[in-house]
Amino acid sequence: MIMRSGQQLLLPASPLFIWSSLFAALLLNMLPLGRVLWLPDFLALVLLFWSVHQPLRVGVGVAFMFGLFMDVNQTSLLGLHALAYTVLSYFASQVQRHLLWYKVPLQALQVLPLLAAAHAVQMLVRVVGSGIFPGWLLLLAPLLEAALWPVVSVLLLAPQRRAPDQDENRPL
Amino acid sequence: MALGTLDRSLPPFFNQGPSVLSKLVLCGALSVFLMVADARFHMTQPVRAALVSVLEPVQWLALKPADAVRYSRDYVSGLNQAQSNSAEAGKKLALQSLRAGQVEALAQENSRLRKLLGLREQLATSVLATSIMAAEVLYDVADPYTRKVILGKGQLQGVALGSPVLDEFGVLGQVTRVHPLVSEVTLLIDGELSIPVLNVRTGARSVAYGDPGTGSSGMELRFMGSNADVQPGDLLTTSGVDGVYPPGLPVAKINHIERRSQSAFLKIDCQPLALVSGTQHVIVVKPVADRPPRPVPNAPPVRSKKESAP
Repeated sequence: MIMRSGQQLLLPASPLFIWSSLFAALLLNMLPLGRVLWLPDFLALVLLFWSVHQPLRVGVGVAFMFGLFMDVNQTSLLGLHALAYTVLSYFASQVQRHLLWYKVPLQALQVLPLLAAAHAVQMLVRVVGSGIFPGWLLLLAPLLEAALWPVVSVLLLAPQRRAPDQDENRPL
Repeated sequence: MALGTLDRSLPPFFNQGPSVLSKLVLCGALSVFLMVADARFHMTQPVRAALVSVLEPVQWLALKPADAVRYSRDYVSGLNQAQSNSAEAGKKLALQSLRAGQVEALAQENSRLRKLLGLREQLATSVLATSIMAAEVLYDVADPYTRKVILGKGQLQGVALGSPVLDEFGVLGQVTRVHPLVSEVTLLIDGELSIPVLNVRTGARSVAYGDPGTGSSGMELRFMGSNADVQPGDLLTTSGVDGVYPPGLPVAKINHIERRSQSAFLKIDCQPLALVSGTQHVIVVKPVADRPPRPVPNAPPVRSKKESAP
């Protein structure tokens, strides 16, 4: 496999970890934090992360399913989040091959338009459907999500960065 | 090199499944279809109910931290808070019991007067008492575009679609979706809800609409002519003409009236009396459905004998 020089060779990702991280993100999104306009969409971020890093395991279909869950939870039009996450996951699969060649802060800059597109899809359907625009603070959400990209990268790649053969000098 | 570094599953050279673009088209079309089916034809209720039931345990888990925070806050706020709450509740109860004592006498007097005048019996307060149910608000829906809350009771507990929901101060909203175990309440301040109201001071009937826009207290009284008799501070109650809300429940207070020269109508801003955010315990009332039957739209007009005779 061709990799960026200096990049660490990673262990294979465990499917159990992928699914539990998606589940945890869904749980984070479901927390009753009230109506905060700029709240980042953790599930979109984690879906994007795995669509980029493990495109064979997490793709458009998984994104669609989690989108339906979010729709039901937020009582929005059924299929709204599903459409946004589907588009997000598709874009992720398009940029996936070159995105990983960049360092993590630059990756964050490049995923910003994707996350903004996912929010824009939702907003467009909402504004066309109901004619309500909740406020400009909404623009802060994709920015925050992009800012969280390095954090998510460290957290979700941590299990793959463990030592391949553990001994008493390298317990993890 | 240790074996653990290698992904030992077979590389999927030939078995890649459908292409990403085709998946995008399929899922995108499916979600657009679902949205249309939901918005136009209201056909997705079974899918939604099934997904809600699947998500029920996750939801339960997600509510636990909030419960813990609330519990610890109550615990820390301690004895003083509890005592002052209790004193306040006692005062309120005393005031209400005075009024409740008067209600019996007034209701009797009212029914006697109504009989005297030959008017139709109004909805008795006893009907209200038999068809109410207490419920707890699980959470506020986080969606910034709508104003909804989720109740912890559903179809299995007998919540009916369209039931009015009240809190201790007045009408809070209406049940707009019922799932097996939970139900969804659209608040009065949601842009899609309207409620027929009666101005208590003047007796004028009108309709109040939810107004989620910025700079608004939450509700708007539309289509009141610029010479209408309204004043800031007027109390609006349900008028009972809709067959959903029982008459006489407090809804809102008029907050601000703006006369605009370019419009024939006033812009009337109303403040809902119910706690539209942060309410915990609510009452679900069965819809009244006690109204005269709708007139048949294309029925020939009934003519009196005078008119038919040439």
